[in-house]
Amino acid sequence: MNIFVLIKQVPDQGSKAGVNADGTIDRAKAKRMLNPFDRFALEAALSTKRRYGGIVTAITMGPPPAVEILYEAIAHGVDGAILLSDRRLAASDTLATAYALSQTVRWAGAFDLVFCGLQTTDGDTAQVGPQLAERLKVPQITYCESFEIIEGHIQASRVIEGGTQTVKSPLPAVVTVANSAERLAYKTLRGAQRVQQLQRDEEARKQVIRTVTLDDIEAVPDRCGLKGSPTIVAATEKVGEIGGSCIIYQGRSIEGLVQDALVAIPRELVQA
Amino acid sequence: MQPALRYDLLLVGASTSNLTLAHRLLDLAKASGQKLSIALLEKSPQFGAHIVSGAISDPHVIAKLFPDYLTNGFPIEAEVTNSHLSILGAKEKWDLPHGIVPIGLRKEGQCILTLSQVIRWMAERLQAKALEIPNVQLDVFLGFAAHSILFEGDRVVGVKASATGDDNEDNLYAEYTCFGDKGFLSRDLLDRFELRANPQLWSVGVKEVWQTDVDYQGVIWHTLGYPILDGTFSGGFVYGLANKRICVGLVISLDSKDPNLNPQQRLQHFKAHPWLQELLKNGKLVKYGAATIPEGGYYSLPTKFAVEGAMLLGDAIGVLDAASLSGVDKSMETGYVAAGLLHDAFAKQNFVGLAGAYQKAVMEGFVGQALHTSKDFRRAFLENDRLLGEYLPAVCRSADKGHPWLGSLSFGLSKPFQRVTESIHALSLILGKSGGGLPPASYTSCRENIVPDFAPAPVAVMAPAKPETIYSRSDAVFYAAPRYHEGNKHIEEFDPKVCQNCITTYERLGKTTPCIADCTAEVHRIDIGAGVRTHGMSLENCIQCRTCEIVCPQTNLRVNPTYEGSGPDFFGL
Repeated sequence: MNIFVLIKQVPDQGSKAGVNADGTIDRAKAKRMLNPFDRFALEAALSTKRRYGGIVTAITMGPPPAVEILYEAIAHGVDGAILLSDRRLAASDTLATAYALSQTVRWAGAFDLVFCGLQTTDGDTAQVGPQLAERLKVPQITYCESFEIIEGHIQASRVIEGGTQTVKSPLPAVVTVANSAERLAYKTLRGAQRVQQLQRDEEARKQVIRTVTLDDIEAVPDRCGLKGSPTIVAATEKVGEIGGSCIIYQGRSIEGLVQDALVAIPRELVQA
Repeated sequence: MQPALRYDLLLVGASTSNLTLAHRLLDLAKASGQKLSIALLEKSPQFGAHIVSGAISDPHVIAKLFPDYLTNGFPIEAEVTNSHLSILGAKEKWDLPHGIVPIGLRKEGQCILTLSQVIRWMAERLQAKALEIPNVQLDVFLGFAAHSILFEGDRVVGVKASATGDDNEDNLYAEYTCFGDKGFLSRDLLDRFELRANPQLWSVGVKEVWQTDVDYQGVIWHTLGYPILDGTFSGGFVYGLANKRICVGLVISLDSKDPNLNPQQRLQHFKAHPWLQELLKNGKLVKYGAATIPEGGYYSLPTKFAVEGAMLLGDAIGVLDAASLSGVDKSMETGYVAAGLLHDAFAKQNFVGLAGAYQKAVMEGFVGQALHTSKDFRRAFLENDRLLGEYLPAVCRSADKGHPWLGSLSFGLSKPFQRVTESIHALSLILGKSGGGLPPASYTSCRENIVPDFAPAPVAVMAPAKPETIYSRSDAVFYAAPRYHEGNKHIEEFDPKVCQNCITTYERLGKTTPCIADCTAEVHRIDIGAGVRTHGMSLENCIQCRTCEIVCPQTNLRVNPTYEGSGPDFFGL
């Protein structure tokens, strides 16, 4: 099986990201991390390989530091990686992103399965996976929680309101993985060892992590980046900081603690 | 199947000892061209995240390793300009005149270090250095703990370092393994080969770093007395760091009779002292952490420092000198000495005699000499519990009355002959001038010293402290920032019945169990279900000091290393 997993580097939620004058996130200032939703996609890809064999390639689009999450994916056990990096991709919305990624997947070759995270923590649109499937003209299974490959088909359990739905689709297909799916297993010793070998050996690194531009993947520049993005960020508003203080009552009987808490809670809140 | 993961040398723990070893070994291999593959395992996700120390250190080994340490970016908080040894009464602080401070505690000219920063700097430097030496391959496994030691017969052949269930993926093999840990794994080696002549005497240190209004850089205080005047071996410290920060800490010996030491709360009492309240004025807590400290010294040293295929370094041996409160330089020296011997052994492909040569080199060098000189330091207090139980409180009381000397005098005059003889004897032990006439000391383990119904003398109540300077244990945990992976279960409780009996025993005495009281991070608790009181644990709070294992009266707990990079974040301590 040829398996692709699409992952993204996002600003670390634990650090404070700045906001640019035009309302977009100032990514240069923020600490970076692998999009938490993509961890489930990565696990789905790696478990497909464990169960059915095959080769897993991680694909990301982003500025050069995005290679960090490709190393992370290699530490978890993916076989190869592709970094699509091009200044002309800056400020892409989901339409432009899905287009550029679809060109990358085409460039990378025939596939059986493409796994995506449900959404990202920076954009939160959950649109790129479905758009990608449309552009690749293959079936899509969204909100996938668990799946099996049976005779060239994928049979998947999807999370839907109030329950789950079982669907079956021929391969190739695009699957977006729900965050209630299997959590990503810890990185492996061999993966960690391989990352360091690649960091030392430039030739080997070029073989395993391929960096491509819009020209390589034959994407039309006008359909990428700001030019190819009809979405306009009109304004970004700060809605206040999460804060406040917390008092922990301890060291007494439950009854005593409740008494203490009741005394401390403002009267109007108790009555409400 | 892929070939096994195999290295020449495996370093367990990015500790001061192992990092010194690695730096020195790389320097030697660079000069000699000796081919070497090295794996460095560190259980925390970032270098320095699982290390807490004072730390004041004589930089002599640092200078040996990095002759340009003053200019190459080696992180030093300050050079000590004023070093005080102070007696704390409930209200007053009395700085001992410099002339009567034991030489080991005169720290002027030494370095104040934030050890977590030192570790990170040394580890990053090491990785960069390795890249420049073509005959050396260094692989760093950050976020990988050694789970257990692998043996072939009695020979150490590596460690298990992951839990996928496939031995070929989980085991790291090495020609030679170095344990620079604080006991998580090295204790298993000591137990298996019965290398302990005497149990280790452990202390627990709790420490906070504060941002302050005033700059105290370079000024340090070591304190005796308040808030612990019940005979427990303990002491406080305050070090002035760079950038208007200070660290405040308290070290309490776990061989105390008191089953309820409450180290974190005692640190709050310490901070309530008027002198510290002044230092902390308008301050802000930055970080909290805790660690156990091997303080037994000479008599707690293992009978052998190495076994076939592996050696112990630093805290794994227990080279800290309690008399001069110095361990960092000694720990580094074990690594420095080991590097030279290992380099030669790899060059000759002959490890025979390495164990003996290593132990000899450590014991005949300054480490062995310092430990030998102060070998009876702890013994002085163990033999004569009046020193800390009566004499120190008397001095503290008179310090509060403004005439500290009178305290010693009145204590001495109450039974002049006995007191003078006693004091001379104790002083000779403390200062390492007892000569060779004494038989070797024999320690009992910390847990055996606990007296369940011990009733400590009440400590004088302080003027109320500013509430913003005082933190409950559950609040303090946030400042140690522990994070755990799903399914973590790193503390083993062997027999729940044993814990239930222990809970009952201490409840009858109106106390709680040592694991609950002495925990530095709100882990242990009592659960009540169907009328039965059982022992429960909030493992997500644990900051991995290992105190509970050491004080558990029934040896019913074991703290294992955590996996997947879990644990506290001590960076900055």
